[in-house]
Amino acid sequence: MMEKDPTVERFLFNLNTLGELGEEICSPKDFNSVIKSALYMVMGSFFASKGIIFKYDPLQKIFFPVVSKGIDNMAGITLRLSDEAIGAFVGYNKPLDLKGSSPMLSYFSPVRTEFAKFGARIVVFLIVGNELIGALSINDKFSGEGYTDYDFQLLSIMSQHLSYSLHNHSLLVKLMHKYTENKELYENLRQAYYNTIHSFAAAIDAKDSYTKDHSHRVSAYCSALAREMGWAEEDIEGIRVAGLLHDIGKLAVDKTIINKSSPLTKFELGELYSHPVVGYEILSKIKFPWESIPMMTRNHHEKVDGNGYPDKLKKSEIPIGARMMSLVDAFDAMTTNRPYRSRRSFAEAINELKNHCNEQFDTDIAHTFITAVRKEVLELNSPSIILHLHELLDITAIDKLLEHFPKT
Amino acid sequence: MINQHINYKEIDNIVVLHAENYINKMEGENLEKVCDAFLAKRTYKFVIDFSGTDIINSIGISILIGIIEKIKEKKGLVLFSGLKKVNHDIFDMVGLSKHIPLLKTEEEAVNRMKSGQ
Repeated sequence: MMEKDPTVERFLFNLNTLGELGEEICSPKDFNSVIKSALYMVMGSFFASKGIIFKYDPLQKIFFPVVSKGIDNMAGITLRLSDEAIGAFVGYNKPLDLKGSSPMLSYFSPVRTEFAKFGARIVVFLIVGNELIGALSINDKFSGEGYTDYDFQLLSIMSQHLSYSLHNHSLLVKLMHKYTENKELYENLRQAYYNTIHSFAAAIDAKDSYTKDHSHRVSAYCSALAREMGWAEEDIEGIRVAGLLHDIGKLAVDKTIINKSSPLTKFELGELYSHPVVGYEILSKIKFPWESIPMMTRNHHEKVDGNGYPDKLKKSEIPIGARMMSLVDAFDAMTTNRPYRSRRSFAEAINELKNHCNEQFDTDIAHTFITAVRKEVLELNSPSIILHLHELLDITAIDKLLEHFPKT
Repeated sequence: MINQHINYKEIDNIVVLHAENYINKMEGENLEKVCDAFLAKRTYKFVIDFSGTDIINSIGISILIGIIEKIKEKKGLVLFSGLKKVNHDIFDMVGLSKHIPLLKTEEEAVNRMKSGQ
């Protein structure tokens, strides 16, 4: 029997739907919304009241529904076909009329009863290349008319759109999975990296019983100071690591020299003064994400008047990180007990810093450091500096310390 | 709660819904929600008036078919009215006109529903 050509109205209606389907699939809407609209468009084009889109899981070799309309209780339903059937349908790649006489129906028999429950009349497997992506089924037309060759052609085109949409979604899910995996790996590596650096810091501080946790405090003070100076988080992390490692060169200095309470001999002083350069040599062989770490370590005993060591740099010749480290290193040395003296108070230490501004220390950095302490006292929000000082600080006293500050 | 985005009125135990200008996914789903809400309240007689509707796309058709099926499941009645020619042609093409009486005006549809014809 000759089939009737589609009317102009039907042709235009379908053409419009194809345009809308393409637009929907390329839209940035979420996958569930896109796939639901796509199913509705297919159903609307064939006047079907029941429809389902399944996704195929190649690992478990099952089909599971992603969206349905007109069918209740689809949750938890999965369907399975043999590898042979899958291979046959991938090769066939056309809509299958379940009331037809295609020899392909024999491959479909294991799931035919299930599809009958959904009222399925036409099933089309969704394929990209040679990969099975899913399946779509719709029921009889609401109009009661049969499906024509034109309908099959239209359904094939719409199924191709759907296949690419499902395929893209699968790729995105895989990509997200890989991203999550890589993120976890990165976090683990990052943690291992910090654990290693902390172990080094502990080893450095263990050389001197009086400077226990010195590197951790210098690290905390440096990062608080950097934050107050408006550094980016990434750079703050760099100076935090530099603070932990700034004395790494001391690992090469004899423990008896470090712990000696009597004046050091010229040789011993030479040994002790070598630690920034030794530290630089150790750290410059490591590929850090922050290139400035080795130089911060090398120059953390420089003085702004050029009387420091090892390079006798002046003012801005000294890297900013090293100037910051020099200040907080001295501050921590003053505010902790030493074999030859007791710790000084916060005010005493700050006055000492002020007295040595423009000689040993950078004035602006000293001022900013006190401002950072002032903020911590006022806000008490995750303090990094006052936490280690073991004394109650008075805001009026701090304000007084900020007065009459030396000019740069 | 009845969807506030759809204009509707109740005449006796008949719900008259005024469909929007463009029956796409959003408008179609709004219509469906209102019908669901009335079906849940055991109101089974509906007139859907399309006099303000210029376009119905394939999604809209799919949703309308779903609405008809739901009303029929409850042994309810639904009539359409006020269809413009372009939409009348689509309903003919889809076969909806064979199943659902298409009346010229809302009043005709309501009167027919009342007379129980």
